[in-house]
Amino acid sequence: MNLYAYAIIDSTGGVEESIRGLLGAPVYTIPYRDIGIVVSDLKAQAQIKNEESVLKHEEVVEALMDRFTVLPMKSYTIFDKKEELLLKVKEHYEDFTENLDRVHNKHEFGIKIIWAGNVIRERIALAHKNENAPAGPGQPGAKFMKEKFEKYKIDKEFEEEADRCIAIVDGFLNRYVSEKKLEKLKTDNLLLSAVYLVDKEKRDDFKKAFKELKGSGGDLKYMISGPWPAYNFITLSRSGDGKSAATKGAQL
Amino acid sequence: MHKPIKTSQDINTCTELRKRERVTLLEILDRVLEKGVVISGDVVISVADVDLVYLGLKVLLSSVETMERLRGAPFSGAAEEPT
Repeated sequence: MNLYAYAIIDSTGGVEESIRGLLGAPVYTIPYRDIGIVVSDLKAQAQIKNEESVLKHEEVVEALMDRFTVLPMKSYTIFDKKEELLLKVKEHYEDFTENLDRVHNKHEFGIKIIWAGNVIRERIALAHKNENAPAGPGQPGAKFMKEKFEKYKIDKEFEEEADRCIAIVDGFLNRYVSEKKLEKLKTDNLLLSAVYLVDKEKRDDFKKAFKELKGSGGDLKYMISGPWPAYNFITLSRSGDGKSAATKGAQL
Repeated sequence: MHKPIKTSQDINTCTELRKRERVTLLEILDRVLEKGVVISGDVVISVADVDLVYLGLKVLLSSVETMERLRGAPFSGAAEEPT
């Protein structure tokens, strides 16, 4: 029998018996010092490579989130022996406790903002075209360089416009968050993909600020998701020596 | 008994709900497959042939690549990233 790991929690027990894990198996805690690893048993040949198990993983983590501080494991973290699991936890115990302290009483919110990037880019290009005199006959090399330079100027202006919008959005939300990760222009139309770590006490204020932002008009489209466990804010060292690697998908 | 006729408003509401469900699912997949604590279990499950509905999505492809990296083997036969 294997062990499927869902999360690390700041408790050595007390997981509700009603929580069911993958394939309906009961979920329980394996204690290590003052923390616990929440697992369920899994038959070695069990078929879990499907969407249902991914959703179940999240469901268990969310149920735990109501009562504990949670470090969610990445999906498909499986051990064949309890001893092997405990060995890994022992190796990275300090990392886990540091992270549990950091995300204690905090949840993650995802924010996505969409704008008509293609339209904005076209508008900028058109403005440049109108500003410039029509190109006369010249050396092909010079023409190529000029076009490259024009493209560079358009890209730069496009990014500056994005920075301006993001600064306004972030200004609204920033005061309620303890940590954040912003990603600008993942695509031309995805202006901002951000995750914010928000204290439980400030959760309502954060949501209110988002609502105000959304209601402020304009052509932007806003999406919020959460509260989530702090998936994006777990920073673990690779070696387990406690030195923070500050990686996005904390890998050990 | 007449079958109730769906108004365009009903259809719009259904479409909107389905859209929201898809967005939520994407947000979940993005986190559960891609983020979180990674401690290598000694049983590694290959997800290269994982039979998820959203196989064409970038989030899943990148997860597969991540798993392959962790496993130390190249990912063969990967679909192209959707554009």
